[in-house]
Amino acid sequence: MNFSSKLLEEAVNAFSSLPGIGKKTALRLVLHLLQQPTEISEQFAADVLKMRQHIKFCSQCHNISDEPVCLICKDQRRNASVICVVESIRDVMAIESTSQYKGLYHVLGGVISPIEGIGPSELNIESLYHRASQDTIKEVVMAISPTIEGDTTIFYLSKKLKDLDVQISTIARGISFGGELEYADEMTLGRSIVARIPYKK
Amino acid sequence: MHLQSIQLIHFKNYESEKSQFSSKVNCIVGLNGMGKTNLLDAIYYLCMCKSQFGTTDRLVVQQGMEFFRLEGQFQKEDKSYKVVAKVIPRQRKEIELNGVIHPKLADHIGLFPVVMITPYDIDLGMEGSEIRRRFLDNSLAQIDATYLTALLSYNRILRQRNAALKSFPPYQANHTLLDSLDEQLVTPGTLIHQKRAAFVKELIPIFTAYYQEIASGQEVVDSLYKSTLLELPLSQSLKENREKDILLQRSTVGIHKDDLQFLIKGYPLKKFASQGQLKSFILALKLAQYEIVKNNSRSLPLLLLDDIFDKLDQQRVQQLIQLLFRKEFGQIFFTDTQKDRLVKIIEPFGVEICQLEIADGAVSELC
Repeated sequence: MNFSSKLLEEAVNAFSSLPGIGKKTALRLVLHLLQQPTEISEQFAADVLKMRQHIKFCSQCHNISDEPVCLICKDQRRNASVICVVESIRDVMAIESTSQYKGLYHVLGGVISPIEGIGPSELNIESLYHRASQDTIKEVVMAISPTIEGDTTIFYLSKKLKDLDVQISTIARGISFGGELEYADEMTLGRSIVARIPYKK
Repeated sequence: MHLQSIQLIHFKNYESEKSQFSSKVNCIVGLNGMGKTNLLDAIYYLCMCKSQFGTTDRLVVQQGMEFFRLEGQFQKEDKSYKVVAKVIPRQRKEIELNGVIHPKLADHIGLFPVVMITPYDIDLGMEGSEIRRRFLDNSLAQIDATYLTALLSYNRILRQRNAALKSFPPYQANHTLLDSLDEQLVTPGTLIHQKRAAFVKELIPIFTAYYQEIASGQEVVDSLYKSTLLELPLSQSLKENREKDILLQRSTVGIHKDDLQFLIKGYPLKKFASQGQLKSFILALKLAQYEIVKNNSRSLPLLLLDDIFDKLDQQRVQQLIQLLFRKEFGQIFFTDTQKDRLVKIIEPFGVEICQLEIADGAVSELC
């Protein structure tokens, strides 16, 4: 791409460094900002900067927060005896939008994958152990993706927490709601049969 | 089951070529370097989603081209299946069955069973254990879908374990992490071990019978499955070798160390067999592989025989063909440098044979 302005080129490069944004989309965004009054760009840049400088990670669950302790951890109505362990902040949002869970969270920041250079010490595991060892905690729910690395993480956490007096559970795995049996892959269906649950009348 | 036709685009030395095949015996003739083996490899690719010689896709694509495409029309139990492989090396690899892309390549393996016999098979007797594990994996993956799934997860966990072993600072191994990985290895590892042991058990009688016939019953041959899992369960041997693994920074026990030991008159094949005995041994092994894949598949596998005159004399080839035609067999592809040589050998059996001639990546039908 040939730019008539060095300033334009730099702005396009900055936008295209974001995930999912290519050169052409970046150019469109930059040109859009150019057509707007200067104040819009100032506000935009200020918002980004403010977010980056002032955002905090909750000291308890490592979720994103404006305060030292996040709104979920602070909420008195939530069940403080259950901790749900998730990989990332996006998983917190996904589970929150189900409105089925009323306990607290713990964001690990990833799953164990030595190939990627992520060992247990890179994740928020020590703080989880510390939280789970408090008397008030009764249950730790593992809501981690059912991949090989996710399984390693679950195994690892359950070994770390096994001396504590907490119930460890994992989210159910199997046939998705509204799914049809014949379209389920063999591994999922096989697992669902093995881990079948009693039918409540 | 048989392959009716194939179309190759930018595959090895083929620019764009189509060919029809007979449902029984096909003989591909042509001079050296014309692309006979490449045509067999294309057939193999459509069945196994990879090149027989372990070549990476980057080298399979025609020089200077970006992609290759293979299309095969298979006939199986009165139904026709179109298999298309579309590959852009290191970017995209798709295998389509009747227009539907397989979500996982592993789903495709075993649908169209195939066994290929090439002059390189002699390496089974001479080279390291990896090629013999590949022989086991290649056979079992085609007849047992759970085997391939287990093997893929075992290899992935093993890579994680080795990466973990390399990542520990000296004297600071994370034993809890190793415990977790070991526990994950045990289920697929034990399953693979059981399947391999059962396979070898089924293989031995078939293989020895073939050898007796090929070598006219002179010496006793055997094949032993070697695995640390035969002595100790995987969970236990992983535990016992933990310290050693940490020092060496790699996993020293498990099914990735399995081997097949080949014996002739009780002695190791590699050191004691003559050239002729070695050839007979490997041929018997490959025929036994064909028979087991045949017995465990719902359809007769394709048999690809590459350049058999290279390693076998006329008399042995005659014997081989006799052994093949005695039992039920599926579609067969031969390659040969001499026109009409195989036709003369096969004609007395009254089997339909189609001869195809290849010159510089162009196929012409002779039959």
